[in-house]
Amino acid sequence: MAIAIEKVKRAEATDTWYMPGILWGLLLTFKSLVLNLIDYIPSVVGVKKRQIMPTVNYPEEKYEYSPRFKGNHVLTVKKDGSLRCTACMLCATNCPADCIKITASEHEDPSVEKFPIAYEIDILRCVFCGFCEEACPVDAIRMGPEWQTPGVNGSEFIYDIKHLAYRPQLKGGIVSVLDEKERHEAGI
Amino acid sequence: MLKSVTSSGVAAPQATTGATSPQAKMVTISINGKEVEVKEGSTIIEAYYQSGLDIAHYCWHPGLSIAGVCRLCMVEIEGNPRLQIACNTTVVAGMKVNNSSAKVKDAVKWGLDFHLINHPLDCPICDQAGECGLQDQYMKYGQYDSEMGEQKVKKHKVVDLGPRVVLDSERCILCSRCVRFTDEVSKTHELGIFNRGDRAEIGTFEGKPLANNYSLNTVDICPVGALTSRDFRFRQRVWFLKNAETVCTGCSTGCNVKVYFNKEGLFRMKPVYNPNVNGHWMCDVGRDTYKFVNKEARLLEAKVVSSGKSQEMPAMELAKKLGATLRGHGTSAALVLTGSYSVEEYEAIVSYFKTDVGTKNIYHWINNPETFDSFDGLLFRGDKNPNTRGLLEVLKAQGISGSWKELVDGIGTGAIKTVVVAGPENQANFPDMKVKIAELSKVAKLVWLTSGKNAELDALTGDVALLPVKSYVEKAGSFVNHAGLRQQVDRVMTVVPGAVSLTELVDLMKEVGDAMTVKSTAATETVPAISANQIGQGRINNEFTLSRGVW
Ligand code: SF4
Ligand code: SF4
Ligand code: SF4
Ligand code: SF4
Ligand code: FES
Repeated sequence: MAIAIEKVKRAEATDTWYMPGILWGLLLTFKSLVLNLIDYIPSVVGVKKRQIMPTVNYPEEKYEYSPRFKGNHVLTVKKDGSLRCTACMLCATNCPADCIKITASEHEDPSVEKFPIAYEIDILRCVFCGFCEEACPVDAIRMGPEWQTPGVNGSEFIYDIKHLAYRPQLKGGIVSVLDEKERHEAGI
Repeated sequence: MLKSVTSSGVAAPQATTGATSPQAKMVTISINGKEVEVKEGSTIIEAYYQSGLDIAHYCWHPGLSIAGVCRLCMVEIEGNPRLQIACNTTVVAGMKVNNSSAKVKDAVKWGLDFHLINHPLDCPICDQAGECGLQDQYMKYGQYDSEMGEQKVKKHKVVDLGPRVVLDSERCILCSRCVRFTDEVSKTHELGIFNRGDRAEIGTFEGKPLANNYSLNTVDICPVGALTSRDFRFRQRVWFLKNAETVCTGCSTGCNVKVYFNKEGLFRMKPVYNPNVNGHWMCDVGRDTYKFVNKEARLLEAKVVSSGKSQEMPAMELAKKLGATLRGHGTSAALVLTGSYSVEEYEAIVSYFKTDVGTKNIYHWINNPETFDSFDGLLFRGDKNPNTRGLLEVLKAQGISGSWKELVDGIGTGAIKTVVVAGPENQANFPDMKVKIAELSKVAKLVWLTSGKNAELDALTGDVALLPVKSYVEKAGSFVNHAGLRQQVDRVMTVVPGAVSLTELVDLMKEVGDAMTVKSTAATETVPAISANQIGQGRINNEFTLSRGVW
């Protein structure tokens, strides 16, 4: 049996040479710079509004994601402003990062029965998978478009009920779509 | 075997078939096309359990009489045109039963649908979720879409039936297990079914709350979330808890139990079936015996107080110091033992005092002598120690017979200078705690081994050392119950990492200044205090605990 010889094609220098790629990238950057200047100078003198600037002046200007973006969590509220969460812990069960901690207690209103006295998300461990949102049977937890999570020490990254449901950005809280009272009255 | 069941007063109507009596005559029947041998006189449902097969049911419970109300245990019997319930039909030789046919499956499915007509389906806030008969059987036999268009009947929610049990009438499927329990087992008759039809509800009579010492068993046997425990309510989701079997230390009956725990500690206890000890049940007092095990109640570090100064140190370090003090101390040292420890620990520490310390001054602290021999007729005994009998037998085998008066006199005259107390684990069961602390603290040097914190002990001045010891879930060992049954338990978890068992303590004390002797392999080598024929069945697995769900 003859031994088959296969010729391996080794990469040539022209294939592995990275300079063209870099220069191509720099050209793009340079193009943006020139375009920005053309755009920027008249806007500074007040002749024209800026139009084609592809970057934003973060942090003075902030980029808004769509409402469907899975960013920071929000705990929704009922119409009366109290927490919608029933402390069923399904979100905590479903969370792959094990970063939700809930302490449940007995509510004085027997039609509410169970509610969380503490609800904490360790946002540094969260992987923003959205499984909590998906597990929740009563639309009590959602992930919103906020994505900035600055903080100066560890404790600021543990989000509690006050932050999750009533932070100023939420303007008094977001109302859940599932109303328990209406369901009770409908006899469900 | 059966004798031990009835002698402990456990009502077990079906004990004849539940217990494995060798004389029972067997008959051959065919279940789902398979020939099986079952005990004569069993019901079909028992035949299923004896052969390890699954069958849907709610109202039947091996420890209660037959009600036949849930109509879920349907089987097809050859030669019988209609489906029959398995729980109330006795087997006869040659019977051919089947619960795998389409007809039976259909019957079970729509039976379930009936049970769920008015069910609120509030699983998210229901404590039973995760171990619920409705959830389990719906997934196994149901999986239909409800065809009900009517509004659900509203009933009472969050009703306190008594101090420990909460009722949610909407979730109840009226299986009557709880009612039968109070009628047949606790014989207190608090519960009843009131009203009729879809308005029927479980309830108690005016001024007669469900307050007996066995009330929490109704929570266990309730197949749904209608009865929940006030103590455990909302504290954990059951699927976050691990469980392990051990023996209850609430009294000398030694009921077999399961403890449920996670890394934060213990959360609840449930009985495990053992026909020789507790049948299917346990008492409410016993269910609280997890509380003193948890970290909040525990002594975490050893503490030494001398000449007004107090110092904390690891238990190991203190143990070695003690070893140096006690070695060869002679008859001016004394040991006080309570009935909370295991046989192995008693053997280790008693023989250490006899040989290494050189004294026979060993005394038994009896907590409540007046009620010591009382018995409530079911399970709960006045001797609220798990191992008094084990202790007495070890003391007898080692030839020790000191009276408490001797100890008090010895302390009074100054003949006894050092007292080591293996203190109670469940301090609530020792009403004389304060008195005894006052009495014993008169000694020149007091060493108190304790698993729990105690304010009086902490306040002691003078020459005092407190050493944290392990609680019953943190060590392996055996306990001898009132009837002389020796039950071996395994370690469940660690609550206080620094605590030591008495056996470990003895090993540590022996290490000091004793480099010549090989490290003792504890006192397991000493004469066994309890003869082999007394070692009965401890915790057993059987047809009921194996194949049933938690409910
Ligand atoms: S987004 Fe994912 S990781 Fe973050 S809290 Fe929810 S379930 Fe957990
Ligand atoms: S947020 Fe939703 S899933 Fe999580 S505990 Fe509350 S109700 Fe349950
Ligand atoms: S009793 Fe069972 S099915 Fe009903 S709400 Fe509770 S867990 Fe859900
Ligand atoms: S409360 Fe539970 S045990 Fe009692 S009848 Fe209802 S479902 Fe059965
Ligand atoms: S288990 Fe047979 S009718 Fe309920």
